[in-house]
Amino acid sequence: MCVLCGQDFVAQVHWTDRHIEDRARASGPGDPVEYQRDRRRDRGHRTALTNEVLRHYGLRVEDWGGSKYVLRDGKGRTELVQHLGALWPAAAKLAGTTLDPLDTDFIEALSAAHKDHGR
Amino acid sequence: MTVVTGFLGSGKTTLLGKVLSEPSMANTAVLVNEFGEVGLDHHLLRRVDERTVLLGSGCVCCTTREDLVGALLELLGLDERGEIPRLDRVVIETTGLADPAPILYTIFTDPVLQHHFSVDLVLTTVDAVNGGLHLDRNPESLKQAAAADKIIVTKTDIAEPDSVRNLLSRLGKINPSAPILEAAFGDVDVDEIFRPGEPGAHAVTGSVLSEPDHLHDVGDTYSVSVTFDGAIDWTAFGIWFSMLLHARGEDVLRVKGLLDVGEAGPVVINGVQHIIHPPGHLDGWPDEDRRSRIVFITKRISPEEILGSLEAFRELLGARPVPLGTEHSVSLP
Repeated sequence: MCVLCGQDFVAQVHWTDRHIEDRARASGPGDPVEYQRDRRRDRGHRTALTNEVLRHYGLRVEDWGGSKYVLRDGKGRTELVQHLGALWPAAAKLAGTTLDPLDTDFIEALSAAHKDHGR
Repeated sequence: MTVVTGFLGSGKTTLLGKVLSEPSMANTAVLVNEFGEVGLDHHLLRRVDERTVLLGSGCVCCTTREDLVGALLELLGLDERGEIPRLDRVVIETTGLADPAPILYTIFTDPVLQHHFSVDLVLTTVDAVNGGLHLDRNPESLKQAAAADKIIVTKTDIAEPDSVRNLLSRLGKINPSAPILEAAFGDVDVDEIFRPGEPGAHAVTGSVLSEPDHLHDVGDTYSVSVTFDGAIDWTAFGIWFSMLLHARGEDVLRVKGLLDVGEAGPVVINGVQHIIHPPGHLDGWPDEDRRSRIVFITKRISPEEILGSLEAFRELLGARPVPLGTEHSVSLP
């Protein structure tokens, strides 16, 4: 990591981040502004959806300058993560439990939340 | 790059010997773990010792095979300096006991290799005589069968027809996404093996064999094929699936399929344990069927659990999961 800007030199592109990169590459040297807008929108959408899951564990995630994500718990502890692959272990550390999408309590909570939302 | 894996004595080397004698395979480099009794006569044969480096996270599939990195970088150097004829393909033969996941992990994550190589095919050989026994006794065998893009059943000439039939049916249940080819005396159609299938065309057959027969018991391994009643949100799927891999990655032996994400073409998803191939967004669907279809091969996770979890995520995904055909494992008395 660069000590001045906090960016990783060789960032491993996580598989969930691939499509934005691929789309940019496929369309050739397009408009960099549009690419950034596309990327920001994608990150915003991901942050919102991820928070739907994280709130059942008392956690929140925010986009951090378009390069990383900041994960926070209710006590103000934070973790900086690069992508979804790194988010879940960090969330487990803060929550003190593994976030398991097959966990029946979690499934119940998520389903109930969506039912309330639907009303 | 093609990875050839298979149980001990299942005919990997015989198959390779046959394949390499084809003129179309001339510009192929081969990496083997051991020089077997069947001598391979090939000008680009390299031997690699299985040296694995366990990373801090400690899970077995996310290990780097340093030996492979070294050997592949060397090949790349030779190719770039023009010291060998143009390199079209690299075939890696693993030992019978190897878990194929670290090989994929190595190629997808190495800072140099990921830009020069891609894995187009994992071939698994299973011998018709002892294959059933291996599946019963060796967890590696199960992983190899699940990781396969194509399965080649060898020695069908010397096995009982009944046992061949049972083995074929059992392999079909373990890995419904892989076409199974038969090879007697290592006699195979090279084109058929290396022809990259239509992406995901074999992903899900929909009607998987369903004879409730204890002979087809696959222990605590399950496979389930799922579609959705509409286009799904790719970002939401990424969240669900990365979360699942974090929590239960070692129990997700294989995931393969095409996902309708509301664009012109589907997204191809292909994963072995924690290792996900870079998902490709296709320009169009390979056939008329434009539904998502994805198969999960799991250990200790039942199809109901997968479906229940996807159902809970339906608001985020934007569509409801629908099973295409489930396989239940039957416990032996």
